[in-house]
Order: sequence, then C-alpha cells, then structure tokens
Amino acid sequence: MPSPDNTERQWRTLLAGDEESWESAPSSLKARLYSALIRRQQETGPLASLDVSVADGHDVCVFERLVQIAPVGDSAKAPFFCTACHARILAECFDNPPIFWAHCPYVQFKG
Amino acid sequence: MEAGSAIKKSFEPLPSYQERRLVEDVLSKDRKATAEFVAFCVDSVYSFVRKRLIPRVEMIDDLMQEILLAAWVGLPKFRGDASLRTWILGIARHKVDDFYRRRLRDSEITEENEPLAEPVLEPALDRHLDAAAEQDRVDRTLALLPEAYTMALIWRYRDEKSVREMAELSGKTEKAVERLLARARENFRKEWTHAQS
Repeated sequence: MPSPDNTERQWRTLLAGDEESWESAPSSLKARLYSALIRRQQETGPLASLDVSVADGHDVCVFERLVQIAPVGDSAKAPFFCTACHARILAECFDNPPIFWAHCPYVQFKG
Repeated sequence: MEAGSAIKKSFEPLPSYQERRLVEDVLSKDRKATAEFVAFCVDSVYSFVRKRLIPRVEMIDDLMQEILLAAWVGLPKFRGDASLRTWILGIARHKVDDFYRRRLRDSEITEENEPLAEPVLEPALDRHLDAAAEQDRVDRTLALLPEAYTMALIWRYRDEKSVREMAELSGKTEKAVERLLARARENFRKEWTHAQS
C-alpha cells in the first residue's frame, strides 16, 4: 500500500499536464478578444488617429488607407472602422476565415 | 515600427525595449499596436488557462476576456521587471484562482461525518501513471466528473495548491476540502477504471 505522500505524488504526476507545451489560441478567440479590447479602449475616449498608427510605422489596410489619406480631421480618423467590416465578423465567427486583406489585424490573427 | 514589425511569431520573446514600446503604443490606444499586443500575449495565456479549465472549455472565452481587459487596466503599472508575457500570466493566475474560488464556494461541499477513506490508487490506475502523457484520457475522465470534483483535482494537482490554500481561497474548512478531494479522487478512479474495462 503506497504512503499518503506517494499517493499524492502519483496523483500529481497523473494530473499535472505538460506545462512546457504551448497551444495556439484559436484565431476566432483572438479576434473576439481584440474587438473587446478595442471596445474597452473606446470607453475611455477615442482611439489614436490612423495618422498616429502610420507615423509609428504600422501598415494599414486598404480601407483604413482611404480614410487615412482623406482630407479630414483627426477625429474622423479615430473611429474603429473594423466595426463595419465583414472581415471582423468572419474572423470572430470562424477560425482561419477566408479573409486576405493585407495589414488587416484580423488576418494577422490567422497565424 | 520596431515593436510591431518584429512580432512575427507569437511564441518568440521580444527584447525589453520593444515590449516597452509596444506597451506605450497600446496605452496610447493605437489600434494596430493593440492588435499586436493581442497576437503577442494571447497564446501563452490561452495555454495556461486551457490547462486549468479543461474539460470546461466553454468557460475559456469569458475568462480570457476578463484577463485581457484586466491587463489593459493594469498596463500603466507594467514596469518591465519581468517580461510582458510573464506579467500577464501573473494576472491570469490570479483570475484563474478567483474563478476556482467562486466555483468551489458555490459548490455543495458537505461536512458529513463519514469516515474519510484515504483513496489508494488501484493497480489498474497505477500501471497508467507512467503513461501520464495520455493527457487526452485524463481530460476525458475529468470531463465525466461533477464540476466541483474536476476543479478540486486540477487546483490541487495541476496548479499545486495546498489544501490549506484551497480552504482559505474557497472559504471552506480544510476538512471540507479534504473530503471534496477524497470524493473527487474516488470518482476519478471509478471513471478511469470503468473506461478501461
């Protein structure tokens, strides 16, 4: 009959799992988390203008580019345009969705 | 952009100056930096959370969102003493503890005066201890147990909480937690053996 300590060790060995292994999160989960985080950021005021993103060296998608080069003020470049984009909807609902826009954050999550 | 363009694979670490830059950009509510932040951090947190919630995978989404939003709120306090991923995993650990605490606190843990039989691993189970790599089978067995039993086993043996810690966190007595664990082990053993036969 094993000692209580030994029994505990055996249970630990059996149930511990592999801490070293990493598993990628589903792309749809990343998309939903990103959208949620952006919504939370918007609760505390507008997002940074697309001009700021571009000035920081980030690439923007074709739709964002249209807004970014438009002769409008910063406030018009701050909304989260992905809200109205089909890419976001597909990305939140499906893993590895059929979206291929360059520099779209939701495409980035596909891995 | 230094922080952004360097984030190609989500498992690769970032130099600390890039992490700081990424944090600054996220705090300035740069949507592109925020996307990179998610891509950079989520996989490690997901692995951590999934291992502790499995087989209750339907709860992962809500907990992940809770963790990430807490990270956003706490981000101004990030000093870079540890890596960004380690810092967020610290938040995840607290959130998982909170989650377990709530679940176990709400669970029915009676303090009956029944004798607490110290479960002994049966030979059938013992033989499989070397094959702990059969993680799927362990998870399948855990999925058959009542939620409180599963959580107690994972909290105790996967997260290595002591009985005292579990009692303090769940607001139960140590005796109640020991009884819960004993029943959980017994149920696990029965399901494991049943699946084998």
